[in-house]
Amino acid sequence: MTTAIDIQSVTRRFGRTTALSGMSFSAEAGSILGLFGRNGAGKTTIMSIIAGQDRPTSGRVEVLGREPFENESVLSQISYVRDNQRYPDDYKLHHVLRIAPDFAPNWNADVAAELVEGFRIPQKTKIKKFSRGQLSSVAIVLGIAARASVTLLDEPYLGLDITARALFHDVLIRDYAAHPRTIVLSTHLIEEAERLFDRIVIVDRGRVVVDSDRDEVPNLAFTLSGTADAVGRLVRERTVLRSNTIGGLRSVTVRGATDEALAAEARASGVQIAPASLQELVAAFGESEALAPASDSAPEAALTQNGAHS
Amino acid sequence: MNALASAVKLHLNKREATLLVPLYITATVALISVLISLLFWRSGSQPGSAVWIESSQYNPGMLYALIGFLAYLGVQSVSTTFPFALTLGSTRRAFTGGTLLWAVITSAYLAAVFTLLTLIELATDHWFVGFYVFDVNVLGAGDIARLIPIVFLGTLTVLTLGGVFGASWVRFASRGPVVLGAGIAVIVIVALIVLIPVAASIAAAFQLWWLAVASIAIVLLSSIGTWLFLRPAIVR
Amino acid sequence: MFTEDSPLFQQLADKIADDIAAGTYPEETAVPSATDFAVFFHMNPATVSKGVNLLVDLGVLYKKRGIGMFVAHGARQKLHRSRLNDFRAKYVEPLLAEAHVLGIDDEALHTMIFEKEKDQA
Repeated sequence: MTTAIDIQSVTRRFGRTTALSGMSFSAEAGSILGLFGRNGAGKTTIMSIIAGQDRPTSGRVEVLGREPFENESVLSQISYVRDNQRYPDDYKLHHVLRIAPDFAPNWNADVAAELVEGFRIPQKTKIKKFSRGQLSSVAIVLGIAARASVTLLDEPYLGLDITARALFHDVLIRDYAAHPRTIVLSTHLIEEAERLFDRIVIVDRGRVVVDSDRDEVPNLAFTLSGTADAVGRLVRERTVLRSNTIGGLRSVTVRGATDEALAAEARASGVQIAPASLQELVAAFGESEALAPASDSAPEAALTQNGAHS
Repeated sequence: MNALASAVKLHLNKREATLLVPLYITATVALISVLISLLFWRSGSQPGSAVWIESSQYNPGMLYALIGFLAYLGVQSVSTTFPFALTLGSTRRAFTGGTLLWAVITSAYLAAVFTLLTLIELATDHWFVGFYVFDVNVLGAGDIARLIPIVFLGTLTVLTLGGVFGASWVRFASRGPVVLGAGIAVIVIVALIVLIPVAASIAAAFQLWWLAVASIAIVLLSSIGTWLFLRPAIVR
Repeated sequence: MFTEDSPLFQQLADKIADDIAAGTYPEETAVPSATDFAVFFHMNPATVSKGVNLLVDLGVLYKKRGIGMFVAHGARQKLHRSRLNDFRAKYVEPLLAEAHVLGIDDEALHTMIFEKEKDQA
């Protein structure tokens, strides 16, 4: 299996702010990787670097084997859907559709047309007058119809209604199945998208905290909920990622996998126990102080899981 | 080479702005020139008389109208086009080169248009009624050999100057153009201070082609400036 | 629809198996393509393939090159057998465990089952 995207210890500083701190992960060619984390965790910064629009302060990024920054041949194989895309003055939809094929060698006009129609993107209105959802739609058309080997989608759903989101998923999966490509998708709408991913990466404060096969997620953490006393007894020495107490009730997300013994104990104490869903996992790390790094090099703190068969 | 061509195509993608709007502006100014000529005529001046010719040829309207629009075109060729170019996958190198190439193409286009219109004006003896629209001093007073460099280099200079201001904005947001403008003003003033003692002899020795050299220098400096601003720029 | 309790590909295979057992996909007819399942469930095509291949390995589905996936002859029987095997673990054991928790003795349990069957007959 070839590696399409390789991020090696990337740090990115803006003045005195450190946006990324020793971030490392990789994406296999043809896989769909989900990128999660709170706002400001560094998702957009790393995607911008992968897209060649920015450069690391230190560390290395390779896309299709080479650094993307200012690299014509690599850039022509990357498509980047980002938030806040600005378009030239007075642009209308047809301007975008006309120029896109010149930068995307695999551009497919039929897919573009299907998406334009499904999203109901206005043809006669200037893009600067578009609503948030319409802007997202244009970016999605660019991102998917390009059929680029590496497709980066940074929160593409902003402003899209549920019908549009369903269309986006339908077309994305269908086109991906017919024309495989490497996809990195960052999103906050986790439940809607979670079945898409081969691999998931959760970032927090500029570094990777979870890097795992999608199938392994249930083994990464589990939730306990019941009375505060009972839950406290069951938690014991385990690492608590997130804890929520209301009255005498407590729910926690705990690192690790459940086992038969613990499950039996939980049942006996009247505590509900279940493997964490992806959404719960992301939420847990969003609130977690447990893995606040003491130093710059704390890769061992990350949860990394690979299934026996990838 | 491919990336360069794509960048040029990107600039030319707004066909109306590049190809048609200059024509609209030219037509509007022409119309105004005609109306002014009518005014002269109504107030007694005779078309074809020396007074008529001289005052008609002094009309600089064409120049000012177009400079404003071309400056805008130059600025937005970088400020709003660069972010889109980056997303599409252009390199900064190709974009800068493509912007310069586009400016050259646009300048040549305008020079051709003006040459054609001037030739028609001359051939029809000033539109059959003696109205001076393109045969004006600022455009070389009917001399095609002067018209072409004036329009070509003039357009190119304004476009690339606009471009470097646009680039300064992309790199430094609102501070960029202010600082750049101040910087240029300082350089100009310092140059003047240095040259004032010899100003008279310079004026005496002045050749029109010095302007040509100056404008080419500005074009080159602007392009290099654009490149220097865009290279480290990221669009957030 | 889909839960965290088992791998997605397993759950998909189970879903398709359920449909086959219920007669939705008769033997020797085609099931939707992997892409169709992927789009329909908004699921990664690789996961779908894994689930489909599981059923192929079990002899429940087979590939007709260039045409698609078909329900194998005898698939319902095979599924029936494996569901029989699961019946004990999935239904009988939890039933007995819950009965134990509630203090329902064997005889009471048998009576309950008997009465229910009588009602349904």
